[in-house]
Order: sequence, then structure tokens, then C-alpha cells
Amino acid sequence: MNEAVKATNTANAQPIIEIENLSISFFTRKGEIPAVMDFSCTVMPGEAMGIVGESGCGKSTVSLGIMRDLSNVGRIVGGRIKFQGKDMGDMTEDELRSIRGNKIAMIYQEPMASLNPAMKIGQQLMEVPLIHDKVSKDEAYKRSLEMVRAVKLPDPERMMRSYPHQLSGGQQQRIVIAMALLSKPALLLLDEPTTALDVTVEAGIVELVKGLGQQFGTSMIFVSHNLGLILETCDKITVMYSGEAVETGKIKDVFDRMRHPYTQGLFRSIPLPGADKNERPLIAIPGQLPLPHERPKGCNFGPRCHHFVEGVCNAAEIPMIDVEGHEGHFSRCVRFEEIDWAALPPGAKKSAEPVKPGAPVLKIDDLKKYYHVGAGGVFGGGEGRTVKANETISFEARESETVAIVGESGCGKSTLAKVLLGLETASSGKVTLGNSEIQSTGIEKRNVDTVSAIQMVFQNPFDTLNPSHTVGSQIIRTLEKFKVGKTVADRKQRMLELLDLVKLPRAFAERKPRQLSGGQKQRIGVARAFAGSAKVVVADEPVSALDVSVQAAVTELLMDIQRKNKTTMLFISHDLSVVRYIADRVVVMYLGHIVEQGTTDQIFSPPYHPYTEALLSAIPIADTSVVKKHIVLEGDIPSAMNPPSGCPFQTRCRYKHLVPDGRCEKEVPPLKELGGGHRSLCWLSDEVLATMEPVIRFDKEHAALEGIPDDAAGVVDGVAVAGDGKAVRKAALARKSTRTVKKAIPAELPAEAAAAEKPATRKVATKAAETPKRAISAKRAKAKAGAKPAKIAAGKSVVSAPVETPAEPIDPADVGRPAGMVRPSQPDDLKLIVGIGPQIEIVLNDFGVYRFAQIAGWSETEREWVDKRLMLLGRSERDEWIKQAKALADGGEEEYVRVFGRKPR
Amino acid sequence: MQIEFIGAFNIIIGVLVRFWPVWLGLAIVLGASFTYKKRLGLYGQLFDSSVGIAGVVICLFWLFTAIFASTVAPFDPLSQIPVMKDALPGAIEPASKGVYLFGGDKLARDIFSRMVYGSQIVLIIAPAATGFALMVGITLGLPAGYYGGKIDTVLSFLANLVLAFPVILLFYLLVTPGIMDTPIPYAMAGLFFLFPIIFFCVLFWTRYKNRPDRLYWLMGLTLVLGGWIYIGLVFDADPLRIVHIEPNQLNIFVAVVFASSPGVFRIVRGLTMDIKTRDYVAAAQTRGETPWYIMLWEILPNARGPLIVDACLRIGYTTILLGTLGYFGLGLAPESPDWGTAIKDASRLLRSFIHPALPPTIALMSFVLGLNLLADSLREQSMKD
Repeated sequence: MNEAVKATNTANAQPIIEIENLSISFFTRKGEIPAVMDFSCTVMPGEAMGIVGESGCGKSTVSLGIMRDLSNVGRIVGGRIKFQGKDMGDMTEDELRSIRGNKIAMIYQEPMASLNPAMKIGQQLMEVPLIHDKVSKDEAYKRSLEMVRAVKLPDPERMMRSYPHQLSGGQQQRIVIAMALLSKPALLLLDEPTTALDVTVEAGIVELVKGLGQQFGTSMIFVSHNLGLILETCDKITVMYSGEAVETGKIKDVFDRMRHPYTQGLFRSIPLPGADKNERPLIAIPGQLPLPHERPKGCNFGPRCHHFVEGVCNAAEIPMIDVEGHEGHFSRCVRFEEIDWAALPPGAKKSAEPVKPGAPVLKIDDLKKYYHVGAGGVFGGGEGRTVKANETISFEARESETVAIVGESGCGKSTLAKVLLGLETASSGKVTLGNSEIQSTGIEKRNVDTVSAIQMVFQNPFDTLNPSHTVGSQIIRTLEKFKVGKTVADRKQRMLELLDLVKLPRAFAERKPRQLSGGQKQRIGVARAFAGSAKVVVADEPVSALDVSVQAAVTELLMDIQRKNKTTMLFISHDLSVVRYIADRVVVMYLGHIVEQGTTDQIFSPPYHPYTEALLSAIPIADTSVVKKHIVLEGDIPSAMNPPSGCPFQTRCRYKHLVPDGRCEKEVPPLKELGGGHRSLCWLSDEVLATMEPVIRFDKEHAALEGIPDDAAGVVDGVAVAGDGKAVRKAALARKSTRTVKKAIPAELPAEAAAAEKPATRKVATKAAETPKRAISAKRAKAKAGAKPAKIAAGKSVVSAPVETPAEPIDPADVGRPAGMVRPSQPDDLKLIVGIGPQIEIVLNDFGVYRFAQIAGWSETEREWVDKRLMLLGRSERDEWIKQAKALADGGEEEYVRVFGRKPR
Repeated sequence: MQIEFIGAFNIIIGVLVRFWPVWLGLAIVLGASFTYKKRLGLYGQLFDSSVGIAGVVICLFWLFTAIFASTVAPFDPLSQIPVMKDALPGAIEPASKGVYLFGGDKLARDIFSRMVYGSQIVLIIAPAATGFALMVGITLGLPAGYYGGKIDTVLSFLANLVLAFPVILLFYLLVTPGIMDTPIPYAMAGLFFLFPIIFFCVLFWTRYKNRPDRLYWLMGLTLVLGGWIYIGLVFDADPLRIVHIEPNQLNIFVAVVFASSPGVFRIVRGLTMDIKTRDYVAAAQTRGETPWYIMLWEILPNARGPLIVDACLRIGYTTILLGTLGYFGLGLAPESPDWGTAIKDASRLLRSFIHPALPPTIALMSFVLGLNLLADSLREQSMKD
């Protein structure tokens, strides 16, 4: 270990681990099943390598293979693993044992399963130095205690004396990390270490792991399905698909210039901050992961790839190919140099009209749900206690609107769903569905119409269907219950139509759920929920258990059907990225209380409730150009059995000291009205709220400072804090404004809003001046004000804007703006230019660009300006555009063919 | 008169030949099973492991022996041929020239024939009693696990009460002639045999409530069949004279059901408590299904795996229990050929003759072993993939 740390300082350090063409197979009843094929990677001292991929792609098998801890059916069938220069294949069983847990330590997903429930924490920790370093008991205790301190656990002495079950999940995982680090390993393998934890707890663990990695100089292999997490923790990344590494390279290279269609597909199917359900829907990867024994010839991703070319991609096994210009960047794609990386796949959905929410369908007023626990049993006894699962919940949902309910485990969101569905009855308060009050009618007493009007999509795809019945019979049963169709034949017909609706083949009706993949099961779950004429569908984390590429498809499906049926959707989630993408309005819950509610824009831009702020900052975002404020909450969520006094969030709030007289601890704060239906449960004064900065920003300059290719940069996101006197107002999110200038061609800035905004932004600037990074972003914030009011025109924002006074482009942001023109009667088809898709065309049109000649005439600054605006729509070089446009403007298609030797698209 | 004997080799050949219908049956069933292995689900997977094959073969062997007992056995199990008293294995009976393959017992009956006929008693009572115990246990265990609360408390308390009582003592009480004269056994039989009828009626009612065409048909069938068997068993008043059970056999039957249903109850209750937390149960609730539909159609099918394994083991226990009962001379008639009684009879002369004790013991042991192997392998296979 010590050698390893020193090694970082020397120039030509020896790698900690070198994996060369590793192949691992499992031998089962069905014969040999290759789990990992031709996997290579090198991890240098102090470096962190991320392995990312969907379930079943072999990423965990790799980490187990490194430990040589494959079960009796798994075997390494090829390749070598060299650990600190020594081939692990040559080591004896004894040597391996001395390495495991000592030089290579592993942290698994489920902390409770990694700790022995019958031993005290102290004993378990002390075992490590006792066994590996053969030190005395006192010394072992001392080291353990130090390590518990290092992982930032409160009251280390008490921790050492407790049993694992007395700690929370986050604390357990910290103990596991402490145990792994006690032997001062040279290499730490983390296999989805935070998947079982809540987001705010996850953020703490991630920070800890990063910090410890730097402190101890440990190399890490970080296995995860979450790209955002990899971005936050690792230096290099390997993307795996179906047993093979498909792309590997430095984080920045892979994230910004991916050169494998699968990687790009992954990025396009996760809801990054730029995505929007109406204007920029997610693009799912079609199809599903091939089974290990049914892999195609050649490229494994071939059947799902829209760049697939017969005879090229499936001709032979494809090696890792070096990507020129990037050090250590490899891709397993033969066509990556020919592919147009900015083009959207054919058939990708175009933007859809935003739905107009109708009349309120579901009203919840002052709802309370208390449970009494503790009493019972044949001989009575035991004192009952009250758990306040829901406390004064009030909100309403309109027709065809999506309301997201956000919160971590134990916040009462599932209880709320149960009350709505009638599985529980409310303790007090009102729930109105349509015209009837349903809060105290249990499901048995509801009539068929009410039951079918409010339905649910469940979280776990493996649990949502009864494994004993066929898919068809389960849907038919639902139809029967909802009195849809008169005869058996009618219902069967309707069932087949429902299968069509969720885009599944009709043959699936005869299948048992175990023959379906997770995504397919979830589709059946959706079909079942929409079987009656559901007015409200409660979706309880419907995609969180699915693989990334499938998530997008199911999310889109859900929204399509919702749009078609004008259904109201209550989308329960802990994942704010998905919420931002899908929801129209957001309700944030914490410990049974609604702490903040408002439209999606209101929630995602300041002023925030302190909890929302922390939640936002905790979400890992897989975008290198995003700059996040790091807020790590102390401690864990308090138990609902024993909630804190006063404000539910006061135990973890970082703003508590700003409220005088310790009011947070004494009284539950009032629901503060912030304008436009935006409410927050907080004691903080308006002045404090007004100084809040946005948590998530795009930052081009920051990116440039770090030497990132410039196409990674972007636009400022959600910055507008407008403070005039006491009223706090919010302008719309800037990210939208860049693309939605639909009414007016030049950006229009209402003078009044501009005046109001300036002092506020200046305040931000002075406050943030200590770090150059922040200063830049603040400046950009100011700059962006020019292009801001776009959203106002769209009619969603709370700022009512007089639109008569078109402001001159005085703003620095508009320097370099290409001159626009009024829409000609026959605009050129800009899509002929390679790199411009239908969506980019729309944006260009918004800037007033309609002719090839305009593009051909762009200067360097103008091109850059456009580049910045378009950053969100795909990361690609746009140098070619001008050349292409010139050719097209000069001589149309013939000239283009002459210059480029191919036809325009 | 000197009795003639055949040699050891001829005895083995003789036994193998006597079992010819069993071998034929086994060959047909196993052949078919191997051919259609892929399509037979869990049963087909049993043939993937040697343990499973052994279990299936042993169980089928005894099943076919029971079915073809009259063909396999050369003599009547109850008839005595005085000259053959305590005859050694391989003795030739002078009159018919038939061979007492495993010798004769102290009452001069053919041990081989008695062993073969003994399998009939075990293979009727043990699975049937287990079946009834399953019905009782499921019908009570489902609501206990599903509703919880008071119902669970009361039912679990009763189950624990029965389980806490020593089983042998319970049998002594239930099977003594004094009790047999009272109407208690019939009352209990009347109660226990009601459960299957209730079970199937509720099963069909919950599912086909809204589809009268099927409902009437199934309910009618259940009531007619169930009622017929019920009348035959409990009142011994079957108009067709087909369903009939000896009073002392009924007694044993009732005792076995009474003793093993609490075990089934506990298993079903536990499984129900686990399965009711699944999303598909919540999905059923949210579409307004009745509790009994959920219990019988959503929960029970998914509890079948552990229940099948348990049933296999339970048939084994019941077989041992029957042996114990026979050994104590409880319940069954003194001349009955069942294995327990045979072991008891043989044990008296164990010092002089060991051969009458071995065949029933080995038979009992091998059958229970077969069932245990089967249960083991079922558990193994259902855990896989």
C-alpha cells in the first residue's frame, strides 16, 4: 500500500491491476455460457475506473473474477489478471487468500449482507488487522476506532459496541467501507455500493469514497449502472454491453465524444437536465439485451443499433479499436468513423404538443394518516404508539397533468398512494376524486367506477405480475373486474388491443411472466392500470427497477398513453432527474409532510426548500458540463416513529442557524406562499430565500478551464432570481429559453424584468466572488438574462411579462448572434446538411436562420454563438456545416455532390 | 413332512419375476417421462439429478406394487397354511407348489404377500390423510396469514395447542376402543371432510362469480362428488356401495389428519404472510378483488412449491406414524397385513427368527426414503433458476 502511494509520484508508475483479454464463463445445465469476453483494462495507482452497464452485462462478474471469487460454476477461460505485476493465475490458493481482503478489498451492494449480524461492529473491524497484520488486540482496536472516525461516523466508541442491526443502512455501508480500508488495500472494488441507499445518503457515501480514495491513494474499480455516479467518482470509464467492454477511455472523452452507438444510446435514454418531455423526448434503445447463449455474430449490439450495416457489423468478431486523438480511448465499433454522431436515429419521436391541463380531477385537502402500532396479541399488553405517516397533505391534480411526488424512503409517499387507492382509509382530511369523496371508503366498499378510475403501476417489475398466471388471463381478469366487455370473446379482444397499446406482440398473452423481461412486465403492468377508463394513475417508481435503456421506453410509453387518454398521473419517485423530465408539477415530501410544492420550473430553480436543495444536489448527473453545488446532509432520515419536534427537516437542515429564536425546533413552519402556487414549508425569511443559488448549472467556461473540448459547454440553467422588495419572483428556466423563442425572433426582454433582475444577480456575483468558477457562472447568469423571457411567452411562468418593448441585443450573451431574417415563403431544407436534424432545424429557424446562404456566411464568432445554443441537442463538431451550406447555397445538390463526393441527406 | 427349499439365487429371481407388472409400469412411465422431460415442468426437471430419479423410482415402485398387489402377491395375505409356520425364505408350499419367497411368519402366512398387500394400506391412508390435512391447513392458514390480527391469534393458538400435545398420547386417546364407541371420531370426520368441499366451492365461487355458465357446472360437480364421498365416508351410507371405510381405519384417518393439519397450517400461514406483501397482491386489491379470491387465486398458487415439498415429507411422516400405530396395535385389525403390525408380530420372535421382521422394515424404510429423496430433489429443482 505504501509503495502504491509513492508510486503515484513517480512518472512511470506500475499499474495496480492489469487485465488482459479476460474471459469468464459459467458452466450450467445449458452448457457453457460466456459471461465476460475479451475484457481488458488497466488501473494505475490512485486511479478510479468505473465499469458501467446494464444488468446482465457482466460487470459484477468482472469484479468477482478479479477477486477469483467465482462460484463453483464460473471459471476464467482466457486472459490474464496481473495484480501489481504478478499474474494472479500463477498464485497459489494461500497467496490469493492473503491478497483478498488485504490488498484487494471489496464492497458489496447490500451492507447488511456484508456484516455478520451476530458480532459487534468493533469485533468485526478488529478481525481485519488481527488476521492480516497480526497485531495485538489493543493495536487492532486503536486502528479500528481511527477508521470509524475516518468514515465520519458519529460517536465512534458507541459504534464499536453496537450490533449491525442497530445502525441505519448508510451507517452500515460506512462500516463496510471502513472494514475494506482497514487493511489499507491497494485496490478497492465497489460493486454498486450505494444502490440500496437513499439519494441523500448516497451523496454522503460517494463523497466519503472519493475523499478516502484521495486520502489513502487507493485505486478503485467502481461498478455501477448509474452514469452520473461514475462521472462523480471516476477518472476512467469502461462501458460494458452483453459481456464485452464496448467503449473505454477517460471520463471526459467518453462522456463528451462517445464513439460507440450503445454509449450514445445510453446517454440519449437518460433524462439529462436538457431533456424535456414535449420538446426533446428521450430516445430509447430499441429491443433488449440478448441472452448470453443467443448473442449474435459480430457486434453484440448490432440487432439494436440503427447504424447496423449487414456484412460489416456482423462479419467477424470486432476488436477494440483505438479512437484517434484521444489517449486510451477505444471503441468496439467498426463504423465509428463513418457514423454521424449528431444525427438522431430514424423514427425518433419529434416534439409533441404540450398538453393543456384541464379541470382538477383529484383534490386532496388536509389529509392525515396515522397508524397505531405496538398493541395487540392474544394476551393484549404493549403500549400503542402513533406513527404519523401523512401529515396535512394538500394538493390537487388536474386532468392530463403529471404530478410528481418526490421523497426518500419513509417520507410517506407510499402511504399516500395507499390512501388514494383505498387500501387504507384516511385518519382525517378529504380526498375528492371527480365529485365523490373517497378518503374513508375502503377498496371493498368502492363501486366499480371508482375502482377503475384510480389505478396503480407498481415499482417492482418482478413482483407486479402473478408468476402463476398467464399474462393474458391476468389482463382479462382485470377487465372482468372492471366490467369491460360483455362476453369472454369481447374481453379477449380488448386484452389483445391493450397488448397493442403497450407495444407488445399479441403472442405474449399466452406467456407466463417469467418468460418476459423486466421492461415487458412493466408494460403489462401499465396495460393493466389503463384497462378500465382510469382517470388517475398512480405510478409508484415505475421505472426505477429497470435498466437505463428500458427505462426510457417505458417512461415514453406511459406518457404516450397518458396523453392519449387525458389521464392524470401521480408519479411517485425519488429520482429528480426523471421527475424534472416527466412532471408538470412537483410535490416534495419529507417525513409525512409536504415541504414544497409548485410547478416543475418553480421547484427546480431557487428559492428552494432546504430539503429540495439537498435532494437536487444529491442526484448524480451524467453530464460533464453540469456544475453542481455540493450539499451533503448530515445524518440519516429520522424514524417516523419518533419524529423531531418542530420542522421535520430541522435535524439535517443547514439553514437552521439563519432562523432566529430556534423556531425550527419549536414549531412546525407555516406553508409559505411564494407566488404562482409555489409553497414551501419553511421558516426562512424572503431575504434568505432570495440569495439562494441554483444547484445545477451548465458551465462552459468552467469546462474550458479544465481543458475539456469546447463542445461540452452549455448554457446557464435556471438562474433568474428576481427580487423586488419582498416579493420573490422567478423567471423561467433559461435552458428552455434557448430553444423556445418561438414567438419573437430576437430575444425580447421586458425592461421591467431586466431592471428587477440586475440587483439580484449582482448580489449573487459578489457573494460568489471567492471562487473564480462561481464568479464566471454568476457572470454568465447575468449575461443570460437577455435571452430569458422566452418561457414567459409560453405562458407557464409566473412572471407576467409585457412583451411590447423588444430590447436591443445589448447583452454580452448576444454578441456574435448571427443576423436573423423573416421566414421566407420557401425556406431551404436545412436538414440536407449532415449534422442538422429536424430538431436542430427548428432551433435554427427560431434564430431566424432559414437559408443555406446564412449558414455559409457565418463568421467564427457567430458559429460559436450558435454552437453554444445548440450544445444540448447533441455534441458534435459543427465546422463542416459552413462548408456544406456553402456548397448547397452555391449550386444546390449537384455542387454538394461535387465537393463532398456523396449525396446530401 | 420335509419342506423343500429353493436357493438364494432362485429367491431373488423369483421376487423379480413376481414384480413383473411393477417393472412394466415403471418402464412405461419412466420412458414417457424421459421422452417428454422438457415439457413436464418441475416433474421433468426431477430427472436431471440422480437423487430425483431415485426418489421417483422408489415412490413409483411402491405405487405400482399397491396397484397390482393382487397380481404380485402369490398368496392371500390372511390365509394360513399351518405347515409353513416360521418357514425360512424360499420354502415351497407342498399343496400348491408355490414358494414362500420371504418365508412364513408365526401364523404361517406368506411374508412376501403380506408385505405387498401392506403397501396398499399405507399408500391409501398416508397420501389421502395428508391430502385432507393439506385442505384443512390451507383453508385455515390462508385467512390466518392474510387477515392477521384476531383471526390469526385464535387459529394459531389452537394450532399450537394441538402441536403441544404429545402425538403418541393423542393417538392412544383417539384410537382406544373406548373413544371409538363414542361419536367423537365421526364428528371429527364430519368436520374434517367438510373442508375440501368448502375449499373447492369457495375456489370456484370467487373465480367464476360473474360467469354463471362455468360456475354452475363446477359448483354442481363439486357438490355432487364431494357430497357422495362425504356421505360414504362419514355416514357409511353410500347408495352405490363404492365408497366405504372401516370404522377403525376412519379413526386412524381422522387422528392423522388432526395431528398433521396444524403443521400445514403453520406453513401456509407463514407463506401467506410473505406473499401478501408482493405487488401483485396489491394490484389485485386495487382492482377490487375479494379477500378469498386473493388468497386462493393469487397467493395459493405461488405457495405451491414449498407445499408440494412439505406434502412429500408429510406422506413419509404419516407412513412412519402408521407404522408406529400398527406396532402399538392401535387402530388397525390385529391380522391386518400393514407394515407396522407385521413388524410388531415379528419382533416377538426376533431372537429365533429374524426373517419375518426384515421385509416390512425394509419396505417401510425404502418408501419413506424415496419420499424424502423426492422432496429433497423437488426443493433443489424449484430453487434453481
